[in-house]
Amino acid sequence: MTSHQWFEEHRTAFVARSLDPDETASFQDHLARCAECRQAVVGLERELAWLPMGIEPAAVRPGLQRRIANDVLGINQWQWNRMTTLAVAASLVLAVLTYGLGRRQIQKVERQSAALAQQVRAHQSLLAALEDTVSVMRGASRILQASFKVSNKPGGLLIFADERTHRWNVVVHGLPPAGPDQVYQFWFIQKDGMVRGAVVHPDSTGPTFLTMGMPPGGGEVMGAALTVESMYRPALEPQGRMLAHLML
Amino acid sequence: MTPPPRSVPPSDQSVPGPGQRGRFLSVTAERSFGERLLARDERALIELIEIATPWLLGISQAMLSDRDEAEEVVQEAFGIIWNRIHLLDPKQGGLIPWLLRITRNRAIDRLRARKRRRGYLERLSSLTSSAETVTPASEPNEAAHPGWHVHESVHAALTGLPEDQRQAVRMAYFEGLTHSEIAQQLGIPMGTVKTRLRLAFDKLRVTLATIKDWVV
Repeated sequence: MTSHQWFEEHRTAFVARSLDPDETASFQDHLARCAECRQAVVGLERELAWLPMGIEPAAVRPGLQRRIANDVLGINQWQWNRMTTLAVAASLVLAVLTYGLGRRQIQKVERQSAALAQQVRAHQSLLAALEDTVSVMRGASRILQASFKVSNKPGGLLIFADERTHRWNVVVHGLPPAGPDQVYQFWFIQKDGMVRGAVVHPDSTGPTFLTMGMPPGGGEVMGAALTVESMYRPALEPQGRMLAHLML
Repeated sequence: MTPPPRSVPPSDQSVPGPGQRGRFLSVTAERSFGERLLARDERALIELIEIATPWLLGISQAMLSDRDEAEEVVQEAFGIIWNRIHLLDPKQGGLIPWLLRITRNRAIDRLRARKRRRGYLERLSSLTSSAETVTPASEPNEAAHPGWHVHESVHAALTGLPEDQRQAVRMAYFEGLTHSEIAQQLGIPMGTVKTRLRLAFDKLRVTLATIKDWVV
């Protein structure tokens, strides 16, 4: 038998892979050099191609085909589960963050809104007070003024009297802080005596403004006075030093 | 001597449903599969896995007698097809035959690696016992399996062989034994083994040449 004859006879065995390892190696070497055997082997492989189908199909375990597809396509089950878990977790975190941020933003806006409302109310009160003060000044039918000196410093008392609304707007300026146990007392002068008005608290930054109605009782008011009185011994009539008095 | 081992779906395993009855994977359709795979159509791969897995698993399981290892072989085969589809040569029989050949070759590689690990005599004993434990098919759901027509033709061709030739084919082709291993196991001269195989394969080549399409 020539060398080539041996390979001819063993082509089928080579295709069936039933040659021993050293024979297989020899056959592969021969194939690299022999076109006739290469072509014959290709033909044999085609002719025996269906032979494995002689074995019955096996039942496939549930999920196997999907697992194979995922693995071959590069998405293994662990990655799939991990990706799914991460996606769900990310969605939850995003939802919680969105809710939290939204909630915090809403609370912040609510706080800012409440602060602004409070500021608006304060400004409205101030504006109402200013409007009231200005209305008394603008509606004043009489304006009275007196000067005084306290600790050699000049001061003054200004009264805007609105007879239509029976209110006075009183402006005091140049008053130093009251002495120990002393207060500055404003009085209404009536025909039958003096009636206690408001205590004047000096404003160190500027004039002190007071808006006051006429004293109860309906007595005719003829003038006003400003005195220094004892804080602890309030009296029905002025007892202390007279700083200024004005008559209508 | 019995025909090549037939694997039987255990009762706790799923069996493909009858929805695939009447489908026909012609040479043209198979070529289309190849073209789609070449175009990296993942859907085509998934369809191919659905259709071919039971057959590939049957082959690898019958050869390896190990379900887990058989599934690994099938997965490897599909991986090779997907990654080397550009090497598909229609002259060698088309996509399905290529897949069958890859599966069988991978199974043989594993059998031989196993033999190297365990030793030759132990392997022979294992093969004998495992071959005997394979349960013959009992009323398989034929219509549920695309390709059943091909299986019947091949099986008929195998059962038509004389007993000694069929035994040689089974040991060589489905159990991955070499000539010398078969001779040693059967206690016959190696020349006799070669003769039996040559005669058997000559008959099979004639019979199998009539199979053109894979009825699915």
